[in-house]
Amino acid sequence: MKNIIRCVLLAYITLAAQRGTAQEPISDSRLLQNLAPAEIDSVINSYHGDKTVLVNVWATWCGPCVEEFPSVVKLQRMYPRRLKVIFISADFPEDRGRALAFLRRQGVDWPTWFKTGPDRAFINSLWPEWSGALPFTRIVNKWGRTTAYWESSADFDKFHRYVKQALNP
Amino acid sequence: MSALLMLGAWVQQPAGVVKDELAIGEHAPLTDIQMKDVSGAMISLEQAAGANGLLVIFSCNTCPWVARWEDRYPEVHKLAQDRNIGMILLNPNEGYRNKGDSYEDMVKRAKEKEYSFYYALDRNHKLADAFGAMHTPHVYLFDKDMKLAYRGAIDDNARSAADVKEPWLKNAIKAMAEGRQMAPQTTKSLGCSIKRVK
Repeated sequence: MKNIIRCVLLAYITLAAQRGTAQEPISDSRLLQNLAPAEIDSVINSYHGDKTVLVNVWATWCGPCVEEFPSVVKLQRMYPRRLKVIFISADFPEDRGRALAFLRRQGVDWPTWFKTGPDRAFINSLWPEWSGALPFTRIVNKWGRTTAYWESSADFDKFHRYVKQALNP
Repeated sequence: MSALLMLGAWVQQPAGVVKDELAIGEHAPLTDIQMKDVSGAMISLEQAAGANGLLVIFSCNTCPWVARWEDRYPEVHKLAQDRNIGMILLNPNEGYRNKGDSYEDMVKRAKEKEYSFYYALDRNHKLADAFGAMHTPHVYLFDKDMKLAYRGAIDDNARSAADVKEPWLKNAIKAMAEGRQMAPQTTKSLGCSIKRVK
């Protein structure tokens, strides 16, 4: 009996420890990392052949960005293996803390990016036809082809529709 | 360029979202439309223009980027005024009329910030649509024939006027007034999307 209790206790402790590891929160420095214009392509291309990428440029001061944000998080949860959401915050440097707090509140637990460098280079590196208006979304399929992009906000159905098209060409 | 055109051929662009912007050399559209200025008077682009041209800035009350750049509006205005170029701000944010961009809010903002230039209501973003303007602030400089000479950003640093390296708009105003070739004629910056009503 004692052994059974010991076994159950050990199993419980092991499980709790595993769960503890799994829930280890992502550090601030990983959750929000600097991204220079010249690095954008390599971040997107790092998923080539593996995942569809949805790039979403947002900022805490941007009302429509904040409104649509949960829809994008939801999509990442729906397609954890086939989709990679790349959030890029365009907040002012002094608002980095606000951006981090927002990401935490939204339950984002994967690395995201913080825009650095000049606006013009950033805009043109991300997509030359983008005017610079926030929010901005670009979808790149796993073969590196940009299948959709748009300025301004979208609802969940629109995000989902274009992600599905990229996932199932 | 041809690669870009090819890209455009197969990239899906959801209809009605990204519009064609007014091209350099194109005539200002809808110049006779009367809009309500914060003074209470009605004003059109042709009435706001000076003998040497017109500067149109799509602006609003609710965008942090406007708030950052706004301290440079008076300087730009003076530069334009000295060269007989008119200046008008237009607020196209129809979707935010109940969220800080109403006419009353505009009047308040103009008073607080001591605007000494026109700030008019672009009802149903009619002009923003005709210009293909996408965000605030977004500037369009027209010459004496109301042909577009420069469009894009005020300068390369929204955050700090002291750290501006390239005062694009000021350079464009000076070049236009002096009849010099200007470069660049188009620039880009981040900004708040215009809050259109569907």
